[in-house]
Amino acid sequence: MEEKQLVRLAQEGSPQAFEELVTKYQPKVFSMALSFTRNREAADDLAQEIFLKSYLALPRFHGKSEFGTWLYRISMNHIKDYLRKKGRAKEVPLDEVCELAFSDKEQAERAERERETEARRLLVQRLVESLPEKYRVILTLRDIQGMAYDEISQILKLSPGTVDSRLHRARRMLRLKLAPCFEGEGGAHELSQG
Amino acid sequence: MNCRKAETLLLRSADGRLDERTKGLLARHLEGCPACRKAEREYRTMFGLLKDGRDATPLPRFWERLEPRLREETELVPLLFWERWSLKAIPVFLALVVLLGGFLFFAPQAREMSQSAALLLEDRDPLSETMALYEADRPEARTMMLMFASLDEKTPLRRPTP
Repeated sequence: MEEKQLVRLAQEGSPQAFEELVTKYQPKVFSMALSFTRNREAADDLAQEIFLKSYLALPRFHGKSEFGTWLYRISMNHIKDYLRKKGRAKEVPLDEVCELAFSDKEQAERAERERETEARRLLVQRLVESLPEKYRVILTLRDIQGMAYDEISQILKLSPGTVDSRLHRARRMLRLKLAPCFEGEGGAHELSQG
Repeated sequence: MNCRKAETLLLRSADGRLDERTKGLLARHLEGCPACRKAEREYRTMFGLLKDGRDATPLPRFWERLEPRLREETELVPLLFWERWSLKAIPVFLALVVLLGGFLFFAPQAREMSQSAALLLEDRDPLSETMALYEADRPEARTMMLMFASLDEKTPLRRPTP
């Protein structure tokens, strides 16, 4: 069944139609929530609340955008509210996270490769959390969720140019935050000079 | 091409948004610039680590847990609607009561109706009724007048004493 048809049926109150929509979009919504919370239970709770919210808001969906875009916009707003309620992310002390991921090189070499990758991933996630919200959101949607520029532009209601420049700044900021951790491998360079 | 421009192109290249000609220009810059080559490696590592967080398996039985909540919320919706509107209705109702009370308190009291007005209200001709009343009163009045007149005649005239 086509998505538009499913949406129409769900709007008319069909639980089966809504279930199909949930099945289709749940992995993406969950993954999006997880990227911001880094906690599976919290991400699951958020995903449930997002679908609940979208179900109640279905009568107000007029099909001006794709259902997915509309749902991701609800998701993003809900996640932002959650993060605001939870309180602003504290600045991550770089020494602490670098130690976690990179310091004991000998031990890391001896340790399993998976553990090392996990530690690096954790480091990057914590650094992403320490970015200002507007950069964090855009970086998460593009580089973690892999969303297209157009889609991000619609979800965040930003012009494509703003998405482009904001994402560029977010990536630069993250790389500079990672710089101390890259030092062991030759260090990061501020590419501001010719 | 300077390093700042090269960094912009590096990021566009990571998104697959670079044409062949610009790709060639970037490649030439990277060949001669160790700093940008390093930046490219770091970005590649960074993107790889970011993408690692993408594949997340959701917790099981998502729909089974969601469905009762949906049902519960849907049942609550009319109640919530009433609750929301009743909260707004209470002050409106109180305002109406105050207005009505004020109107009744300050409005001029209805005057006592005259007999003619009462008759008019009863759809009777006030003139004929009044005439009938007058006619009914007239013999009595005449008798009274005669009585007083006869009294006057019997009363002895008092002469003023000198």
